[in-house]
Amino acid sequence: MIEFSMPVLMLLGALVILTLCSAFSVKYRDLGFYGAIAALILASAAVTLLIPALIYYTAFVFAIGILNLVSLKVIKSVIQGVDYGLVALMALVTLYIFTTHNLALILAAFVLVSVPTYILVMVREGGTNVEVGIKYITFMVLATVLFLIGAVTLAYTKNAFNGLLYILGYVMLILGLSIEVGVAPLHEWVPDVFTSADPIPMSIIASLAKIVPFVIALRILISTSNSLTVSVTLFTAVLAAISMFTGNIGALTSKEHARILAYSTVANMGYLLACAVVIIKPEFFYFALTGALLMLFANAVGKIGFFNAIKGEGAFSLTMYLLAFSFIGLPPLIGFWGKLFILFSLVKAEYFWLVALMVLNSAISIPYYLRLARELGVGWKANLTNFICVAVVIITLITFLPDWFFRSMEVIAQAISIAI
Amino acid sequence: MNEWLIFLLLFLSPVLSSVPIVLAYKSKAWTEKLPYLSVFGIFVSVIMSLYILFVLPENQQFSYPWIPEFGINIVLITDYLSRYMGVITALIAFFIAIYGLDYMKGDYRPSWYWFFFNLFTASMLLVVYSDNLFLLFVGWEGLGAASWGLIGHWFRDDNDISYVGKAGRKVGPLELSWPPSFGGWRAISTIRFGDVPMFLALAAIWALSPTLNISEIEWGTLFETLGAGGTIILLLCLLMGLFTKSAQVPFSEWLMTAMTGPTTVSALLHSATMVAAGAFVFIKLTWYIAPWTLHGVHGLEYVYLLVLFIGLLSGLYGALSGSGMLERKVLLAASTMSSIGLMFAAAAASYWVDVEVGEMHMNFAVLVAFWYMAVHAFAKASLFLVSGHLIHATHSRFLSGGLEFGKKMVPAFIVTIVATTFLVGIPPLTAYWVKSAMDEVMEHLFHEVGYLPLILLVLTSVVYSGIMAKFLALNFIKGEKPHHEHTHGGGLMKVGYSLMVSVLFVLLYIIFTSEEGHEFVAAGSVLKHGTITISFGVGILALLAYMVALYRPQIHALNKLGAFFGDRMYLPFMNDFIIPKIGFFVSHLVQDYGNRGIDGFFNTVTIPGLFGTISKRIRGIQTGYLSRYINIVLGLVMILLVVVAIGGVWL
Repeated sequence: MIEFSMPVLMLLGALVILTLCSAFSVKYRDLGFYGAIAALILASAAVTLLIPALIYYTAFVFAIGILNLVSLKVIKSVIQGVDYGLVALMALVTLYIFTTHNLALILAAFVLVSVPTYILVMVREGGTNVEVGIKYITFMVLATVLFLIGAVTLAYTKNAFNGLLYILGYVMLILGLSIEVGVAPLHEWVPDVFTSADPIPMSIIASLAKIVPFVIALRILISTSNSLTVSVTLFTAVLAAISMFTGNIGALTSKEHARILAYSTVANMGYLLACAVVIIKPEFFYFALTGALLMLFANAVGKIGFFNAIKGEGAFSLTMYLLAFSFIGLPPLIGFWGKLFILFSLVKAEYFWLVALMVLNSAISIPYYLRLARELGVGWKANLTNFICVAVVIITLITFLPDWFFRSMEVIAQAISIAI
Repeated sequence: MNEWLIFLLLFLSPVLSSVPIVLAYKSKAWTEKLPYLSVFGIFVSVIMSLYILFVLPENQQFSYPWIPEFGINIVLITDYLSRYMGVITALIAFFIAIYGLDYMKGDYRPSWYWFFFNLFTASMLLVVYSDNLFLLFVGWEGLGAASWGLIGHWFRDDNDISYVGKAGRKVGPLELSWPPSFGGWRAISTIRFGDVPMFLALAAIWALSPTLNISEIEWGTLFETLGAGGTIILLLCLLMGLFTKSAQVPFSEWLMTAMTGPTTVSALLHSATMVAAGAFVFIKLTWYIAPWTLHGVHGLEYVYLLVLFIGLLSGLYGALSGSGMLERKVLLAASTMSSIGLMFAAAAASYWVDVEVGEMHMNFAVLVAFWYMAVHAFAKASLFLVSGHLIHATHSRFLSGGLEFGKKMVPAFIVTIVATTFLVGIPPLTAYWVKSAMDEVMEHLFHEVGYLPLILLVLTSVVYSGIMAKFLALNFIKGEKPHHEHTHGGGLMKVGYSLMVSVLFVLLYIIFTSEEGHEFVAAGSVLKHGTITISFGVGILALLAYMVALYRPQIHALNKLGAFFGDRMYLPFMNDFIIPKIGFFVSHLVQDYGNRGIDGFFNTVTIPGLFGTISKRIRGIQTGYLSRYINIVLGLVMILLVVVAIGGVWL
């Protein structure tokens, strides 16, 4: 039973605002935009009131959500205004995800983040991109089904332990997650969708939509871990390694920018999946959580910047290079801290071979990121693309010292388990 | 006054005072005036060093954290060696700087010269006063950089007067002639060759000892931890730095061609900085290591034996080489190498000499080495400054000038007489007392090492005395008449070397009045137990050699032997022929086989090809057909689930 406290009411209020504004935005497009922003502000305040330690997480998600909303301004879609509502809904769910311990709500959140992207992926100027939609939705449905069955199975084994069911549930959850976010070798939809969809909706799918699945997966996995976890984790580690290599090597010879970003996503999802192995050492899990979130943010801001640059046919060179450096993992940019914390947690989990492979993969990724920055970088112009790129670069620089974020994650990780 | 302010002024005033001239390098008017500021900067250092000597407490350590986590701190010390060496360095640099105001007038890049000259001085002061080995190394590298800048100062190689060796003279495949740019290169490459092992040695000490402060390292414990082999390797690595810096055999070649730099640089390089730095650091380390108390440590004796003989051999090699040389500065360079060798030898002898002097409990042999360094510094600097003036006056770097010429250059003539006689150990002049003490030190070695050290020392002293007399004779008395004479002016130059040489009298006074001087006076006494002492005998021999060489500065019958000596016994072949050939061989090997293989593997063929192929395969999955993708994904999912299910049941 949900208590109707002040923050919950605020969250509900945000939903109401979102619904109403989206409904009316078909007529008044701007209403959708402002309604979305108002809902985000309200929801951020509510989440911070619920759990004060979440303030930095909230700030990051809020910033990413706002940037996604602003970048949508560039295209005129056929679902005028409703697209803002969809993005805001995803952001809202992403903000909310740490505050609940209810499995049903968490699984609902997974679906809520996933479904809006079905529509967004088809958005393009003056029409709908049905072919992409079909490819994308086919895989998302498969992913959702696998994920949900896996999650429920895992939850079942928590109360009535059954080794076979646990392993099946674990593998299904990981496979569902892999298809959802695009982990190799189940990444086939990623390069196609990334290249044929419009860059702006892609910037949303590649950024905001990735956070919730990972957080949920990590929370379910850590809540249901048992003596068998140490053995099945190897499966995840192998999958992560395959994904890193597939993504990074695939990107090396790709020529289309969107395709490079697609493979870069596959690689980054591999890094993120590696965090899931740290559940075997719960005492160091907060390192993995910090790393995963910083990595997700690094990936999100980087993808937003690069996709907007593709849409705007180039962006200010310096911002492109800084984003590339962040992806490569040069200090003090956010990408570095993400990788550092992930590597650190892997060391603590004693997965040294995965550490070595991840470092090797960072090196392999250097050429294509620099190529991307060189080809997309142009001179300075005062336009929306550059505004967005400067904003994301500011975010990559904000973790000059990530101590504050790390401390807040230490608190969050204390209460990450789900009530099952 | 605050000690920190003193030290800051001491180190920084030479550097900061030469910054304006660097900034004004384009303005001729400013670069003519600003050298005075640079000289003033060194003058400030002189005052500070005197303040440290007379006012600051003795044997005091001044520590300021730098990287305290790693035991690297700015630690300065005012021990006996530092206090005196600091004054010697600053004073000599100051006198030379005064001289330089005249000597470097009209030079084509005064900014370069003054900046590096002052940096040179500051670096040496840092070496002298630091107690922390890392801080010392900073000064040490400063010396290296500044010496490169100064030796190659006339980088255009456009004036024969700055060359070393006769232009065009070939011996075998080698042309024995070196321009300034090459001289600078030979210097930096040789000392870098030694600095790297030295740095490794410092790293090893840092790893093994809780502190890097020379005065606080437990050397005995350190050596015992390392064992005999480790001790030898560590000290040899350390000594590589000192030997290359001090131009001991076989690393002496760079010093000979360092004469391509301006004479002021040669003077500074040879007296109180650079070559002296190596010997000074050895003396300082020896004092704190106190090897005479560590006879139980295995391996240490071999190291000190090595230093003793390298020093003595360098001494003899330098003196003999000098006997065949006809270039003013190169002759002096060879004699310097010889003197520095004797300093190393004397300090190394302390291993076997367990005699303490006075209240400060200074080891006698170490004290002798240090005092010889002091006497040598002022005498040699005077001679270099004179020879610079002679080069200006005659436009020739070769020994030349008869009595007629000498009469026109009276101050230079007198200074040369004083400096040479005071330096070679003629009784009762300054160096005699120190050299006598050195003879006595070598006498101490009879029992453990044998007679050879004393024999080598006496031989060196005699030849050394001869070459100094030769320098005097061939420049002022019996040399050829110079083709060119320009004897006017040079006022500041005369001031410079006159001031310099006068310090020798001060030192003589100190020897007769100070506590440590008593030991020297005792060592130099004519009679002991009713018989004539060895020291006095050596003094008389030096006097005789001096007289003979004055009378017959050149013996034409021995021309061939002289040429052999004058060509430094063909040691240039090692530096310019054998080692480069080995280097080229290795680099060709690396280029032709190593690089091509590595390049092929990493950059052009194997790895790029592999990545290209795999990358194309990965991209080849994307045909664009949904059915294919579904086949792959569903197939994988099904297979995995079946495998897991079977595996799970089986488990």
